[in-house]
Order: sequence, then C-alpha cells, then structure tokens
Amino acid sequence: MPSSKLATGLFSRATRHLSDIGPIRSQNILSSLRITTQSQCRAYTQSQRPRCTQNIQNMLSARSCNQFSTSAFRAKGRTMGQIKQRNSTGPFSWKAALLFILTGAGMVIYFRVEKARLERKRIAEMSKGVGKPKVGGPFVLKDLDGKEFTAEDLKGKYSFVYFGFTHCPDICPDELDKMAEIIEKVKESTKDEKLFLPVFITCDPARDTPEVLRAYLQEFHPGIVGLTGTYEQVKNVCKQYRVYFSTPRDAKPGEDYLVDHSIYFYLMDPDNDFVECIGRQDTPESASKVILEHINDWKREGRPLKTE
Amino acid sequence: MGWLPWSSGDSNKASDGGRIAPDRTSRARCWEGRDAFFSCLDRNDILDGIKDDKEARRKCAKEVQEFEAACSQTWVKYFKEKRVMEYNRDKTIERIKKEDADKMKELKTQGWKSS
Repeated sequence: MPSSKLATGLFSRATRHLSDIGPIRSQNILSSLRITTQSQCRAYTQSQRPRCTQNIQNMLSARSCNQFSTSAFRAKGRTMGQIKQRNSTGPFSWKAALLFILTGAGMVIYFRVEKARLERKRIAEMSKGVGKPKVGGPFVLKDLDGKEFTAEDLKGKYSFVYFGFTHCPDICPDELDKMAEIIEKVKESTKDEKLFLPVFITCDPARDTPEVLRAYLQEFHPGIVGLTGTYEQVKNVCKQYRVYFSTPRDAKPGEDYLVDHSIYFYLMDPDNDFVECIGRQDTPESASKVILEHINDWKREGRPLKTE
Repeated sequence: MGWLPWSSGDSNKASDGGRIAPDRTSRARCWEGRDAFFSCLDRNDILDGIKDDKEARRKCAKEVQEFEAACSQTWVKYFKEKRVMEYNRDKTIERIKKEDADKMKELKTQGWKSS
C-alpha cells in the first residue's frame, strides 16, 4: 500500500506536477511565444523603419539630383509602408506622368507656333494701312453707260486702276497698250475673266465724255472699264489715289490743252486696299507676274473673290 | 494750225459734247511726223525746236509743216519740250555715271596703294 500509495502519490504528484507544469509551461510557451513574436515583430518593424525612411530620403535626394525614377521607387516597395504609399499615389504612375509632360510640352509648342503665326498676320494686316502708302478710297463716278460707279464696285476683285486722258500725246497710249497685254496675260493664267478688273479713270472730264472714252478704250481693250464724272468727282478720286491733278477747272471742251497726271497703275486687292504700283519700268511680263502672285496669294489664303 | 485733218467743222466733237481724241492711226501719223522732224533737227544740230524755232523752220520746213499738220498744237509743243527735257536728262545721267566711275577709279587706286 505504501508503495502503491507512494506510487500513486508519486504518480499523482507527478501528474499533478505534470498537470501543474503542463499548463504553466504551455502558458509560458504561449506567452513566451507571444512575447517573442511581438518582440520579433517589433524588432522587425523597428529594424525596417529606419530603412524605410532612409529609402524615402534616398528617393528625395535622388529626385533633387534630377535622377528621379518612379520605377526604382516601385521596385523597392517591398515593405508595407512603401506598398501603402505606392497605392496611395493612385493613378499617378510614370505613364501618366510621361503623358502629362508630353501633352504639356506639345501644348506649349503649339501655342508658341500659333502665337508667332498670328503675330505675323497681325503685322501683315497692320502694314496694309501703315507701312504702305494709303492709296485709294471712296469715290463716286459714272461708267460709260451713265450708271453710278463707286469704290464699292471695285470690291471682290483685283482691280487695276489707271488715270489718264484721251488727248494724251504718247505715254498713256503706250501704257494702255501695255494694260491690254497685261489683261490678256492675267486672263490666260487665271482662266477667269471676271476676277481682274481694269479701270481707266479720266482726268479730263470736260473733253472725255462717255462716248469719247468708249471709242478711245475700244482701241486698246474692250475689257477696260472707263469712268468719268464731274470736275469735282474726278478731282476727288485723283486725290484719293494721290494722283497729281492739273486739269483747268474752266476748260472748254473745244480747247486744246494737256493734263499732267501720274502714270502709274494701281493694283488694288478685293478689299480695295492698295497692293502694288506698276510703272513705266514694268514690262507686261513683269507686271502680270506681280499681279498673278498677289491673286494666287489671295486664293491660297482662301479669301473671297467675287466672280459673278 | 492744230487738227488740220479733223479741225474742219465739228468732226472732232462727239455727239455728247466731248472732244474726240486722235485715234490710233492719227496718233501714229503724228508720231511719224514728230520723228521725221526730230531727225531733221538732229541732222542740223538743233536741240530746242521752240527756242530755235526760226532756224528749225528754215532748215526743216517740210518736216515741221508735216509735223504740225499731223499733231495738235499742244502735242507739238509737248514733244518739242520733251525733246529738250530728255536730252538734258540723258546728259545728267551720263554726267553722274561718269562722276561715279571717276570716283570709283580714284577709290580703287587709293585702295591699291594703302593695301
């Protein structure tokens, strides 16, 4: 009995001990495990944390040195913090950044080019009135059928204005022959009879009545539009075109006199703005070349032309 | 004087009161008369047909008559004046060109010497 008692005692002791130890041990292990995992975890994060900040610092310093690379940042994003950070950047990936930069650069280049173009155009428009002599302006005259003809009737076409008088000894006839050649050359090249409007304005309305003008111009080219008017009207149009006007006011139609006048052709664009002067030195070839260049420029810009 | 072929009556008047200018053929006739007269003046070393009118009429009687018959009075006067004006113009241009050439020559010789 005592032995068995001892044995049971021992056993019970042992088991009790065991049972005592067991839970304690397992508790200990668990607690120790818990402690170690906690401490390990802490140690892990603590050991990682400086690296993390270091990474950001590196990254920041790298960026400040203009060696910023988003892919490097992504590759190193192994830690929770970094992954979290990467995810928090949302759609701002390197692709988006590249797209943003390219679009921005494209826009800047486009606006610069466009701005320069508009500036050129503005200067060209401005020089229409400022850089070039202000030739031409409103006038009221009569055509050979007695109908009123104003500056408005010149709009929409390239007009070619010449001042003269039928009793002109030698220069006007020469120039009108040249005008006829120019008309033919321009007509041939543009294949359009209505685009170019040659106009002859008489400086001598007392003698150059519609009938006289018609007969005179017919000899040169039937396409030339002859214009006449009262003394005041003619004086006004000569002033508008900066033409020297010396016709005597009280000239009798039967009198024999000469009229001094400018011997230039004035090329006017469809807005009725002065573009070019054609003078004695120009040949029909050089003159029609200049005129056609202007007409083609106008067409290329897609600006309106009246062709009815 | 004046419009001899046309001045008789009102043939140079248009029906609406204007005055008909010489047409192409009459202009050509006038210019022919002018050229004939001027070549005659050239032959006789006369420049100014207005100033030396008497001498011109004496030496080129036929030409001056034809010229004045073919052209209106104002045209005759205009062409005579123009002849003098063009002569003086050509002389001036010639003189300026000569001066320019001399100047250039001078500068060139100076340039050669200095370099």
